[in-house]
Amino acid sequence: MRHPVSTPCCIEDVLEPATHTQDNRPLATQQQALLRALFARPGRPEAGADDEAIDGAPLDLLDAGSAQTRRGLQAYQANGHALAERSLGAAYPVITALIGADNFARLARDVWHSHPPTRGDMALWGDALPDFLQASEQLADVPYLADVARVEWALHRAASAADARPDPASFARLGTEAPEGLALTLSPGTALIGSPHPAASLVTAHLHGVPPLDEAARRLREGLGEHVLVWRQGLRPRVGAVHPAAAALIQRLLDGCDLPQALDAAGACDAAAEAFDFSTWLTTAVTDGLVTGVHRLTAAGPNAPTQAPLP
Amino acid sequence: MPRPARPVRAAVPGVGIGWRHPHYAELLQNRPALDFIEVHSENFFGAGGAALAVLREGRAHYPVSLHGVGLSLGSASGIDPWHLDQLAHLVQAIDPVRVSDHASFARGQHPGETGQALHAVDLLPVPFSRAALDAMCANVQRVQDRLRRPIAVENLSAYVRWRQAEMDEPEFLNTLAQRSGCQLLVDVNNIAVNALNAQLRGDTADPLASCARWLDAIAPAHVAEIHLAGHVHCGDIVIDDHGSRVRDDVWALYRHALRRFGAVPTLIEWDTDVPALAVLLDEAERARAQARHALRPPATTPDAVTA
Repeated sequence: MRHPVSTPCCIEDVLEPATHTQDNRPLATQQQALLRALFARPGRPEAGADDEAIDGAPLDLLDAGSAQTRRGLQAYQANGHALAERSLGAAYPVITALIGADNFARLARDVWHSHPPTRGDMALWGDALPDFLQASEQLADVPYLADVARVEWALHRAASAADARPDPASFARLGTEAPEGLALTLSPGTALIGSPHPAASLVTAHLHGVPPLDEAARRLREGLGEHVLVWRQGLRPRVGAVHPAAAALIQRLLDGCDLPQALDAAGACDAAAEAFDFSTWLTTAVTDGLVTGVHRLTAAGPNAPTQAPLP
Repeated sequence: MPRPARPVRAAVPGVGIGWRHPHYAELLQNRPALDFIEVHSENFFGAGGAALAVLREGRAHYPVSLHGVGLSLGSASGIDPWHLDQLAHLVQAIDPVRVSDHASFARGQHPGETGQALHAVDLLPVPFSRAALDAMCANVQRVQDRLRRPIAVENLSAYVRWRQAEMDEPEFLNTLAQRSGCQLLVDVNNIAVNALNAQLRGDTADPLASCARWLDAIAPAHVAEIHLAGHVHCGDIVIDDHGSRVRDDVWALYRHALRRFGAVPTLIEWDTDVPALAVLLDEAERARAQARHALRPPATTPDAVTA
C-alpha cells in the first residue's frame, strides 16, 4: 500500500544510467544503493561523501533513466513522507496544533531524512523530535516546543507500555514491615519531565481543554515552570503537573530508591515542603493508578524502565 | 517438473477484512459475520496498552491473521532479532490463524552514518536472483524456526525493477516455498498493478493475460491466502493504494485464481481513506459471491478466463 502523492526530488541525480553489464553486485550493495536513493534529502541526492567512498555503487535498476522508473522511486519516497507525517502526527498532536499542519508535515519529512527509522515499528520512530525542535534556529522564539514534545513522546510511549498488575494487598506492608528497602510500585510508562515552561498545561489545554487555552497562554507568558508527570491509569495515558515535592519523590522511586530515601528527597524540596502531605498524595496516587502497589527492592525492581532504549 | 495437485479445500473460501483503527469499536460491538480479521502485526508490538487489549478482544470473537510489513524477509543484512522477538510474543499472545509478511526488503544501513541501522518501513523489491533467493530462504527459515510455524510470504507491487534477474517472480516464489517450507500469500491486486505498469511502459499489450499466466505458474499447494484491494491510475503510473473498491479486472483474476488454487482464504484490504465498515463488509460479500461463481461445478461454469 502506498500513497499516490508526488514529491519533488532530484531523482535524476540518484539514477546513474549504468554503463556496465556486470550484474553480480553483492545483494547488500544493491539494497544499500536503493535505500540511499530513497533517503537522499531532496536537493541533496548524495547522502554523504563518506558514504560514496564506502559503497558508491550506482542504483542498478532496469530502465534506470526512464520516466516510469523515476516515477516509481518518487512513489516510494512519497510513501515514506506520508508515513512519516502520519506516524509523527499521531505521536505529536499538540506540536501539530501549535505549529500548524503544513509546518508539521515539513518537519516530519525533515526528521524522516535526518533521523530515519532504525526499526520496523513506526511507534518507536519520532523520539528525535524534541532535540530536533530544540536545535532549530527557526524555532528559537518558541523554546517551549521541545518540552511539549518531550511530554507528548512520554505519553505516546506510555500508551503501549506493559499493562500494570495492581497489587492492593501489598499496601499493608507499609504498616507491617520496616520501611527500609520498601518502594512504591509505579504504573508502567511513568515519566517525569521538569520544564521551565508550563508544558503540562499546554498539553492538557490542547488535548482536554483543561486549563482553557488562554489560561495556559497566561502561564506561558508568566514564565511558569512545571514538573510534568506522565503515567498510565489502566489503559489510559495520563499527564499532569505535580507538586515539586511529589516530583522529587517520584524521581527517586524511578531511580530505584526506597521509600525512606524518596520521602527524604520530598522533604528536602525547598518549594513549599510543608504543603506536601504524603498520605494525602498516596491516596490520590493510588486512585489515579500511578501507584499500583508496594514492593521490596531487588536488583531490578518493577520501576526499572520496561522499554529499553534503542541501541 | 510436475506441479503439485490442487489441494483439497472447502467449497467456498473464508473471507476476512483488514481490521483498522476506525472500525475497532464498531466491529466489536456489531460482530459482523466474517471468517477472520486481519491486522498489521507491527501495530501491536507494544508490551501492553489499549491497542493490544482491543486486539485480544477481537481475537475472542474471530480468528486473526497477523500480517507483517516489517520483517524485511529479503534483506541481505538478515532479520532484526528485536523485530522477531516482538512478533514471537504477539503470536504467542494472539494464537493467529495465519502469520504472513512480504517478499521484500527494508533493512540496511544509514547512508550517512556508518553502522547505524536503517529501516525504510516500506516493501522494497528484491532482485529475482539466486543470491536474493538464498537470503530470503535463510531469513524465512529463521522466522519459522522461532515461531515454530510456517509463515506465508506475499508477492509485491513493485515500482522499480532490478536489472539483475535470473528467474521470474513465480519461479522465485515457488522455489522459496519449496526450499523454506513457507506458504505463499497471493495478492491478486499486486499482480494486476505490476501488469498495468508493464502495459504503461509497453512491455505487455494484454495485462490481464499476463496476470493469468503469472497465476498459472504458481504451485497451488503453496497458496495459503489471497489478498484483494483497490488501486489507482495516476496517468503515468498505477499505484497500489488500497484506497478503493476492488476493480473488475481484479475480480476476474480472483475468479481465475480460485479456479486454480481452490477456496483459499481471502482478505479484503483497505488502508487509505478507509470507508464505513459496511463498505468493507459489502466487498467481503462480493468476494463470497465471486467465489461461488468461480467454484461452481465445471458443468455449469464456462471455463474461459473471463479476464
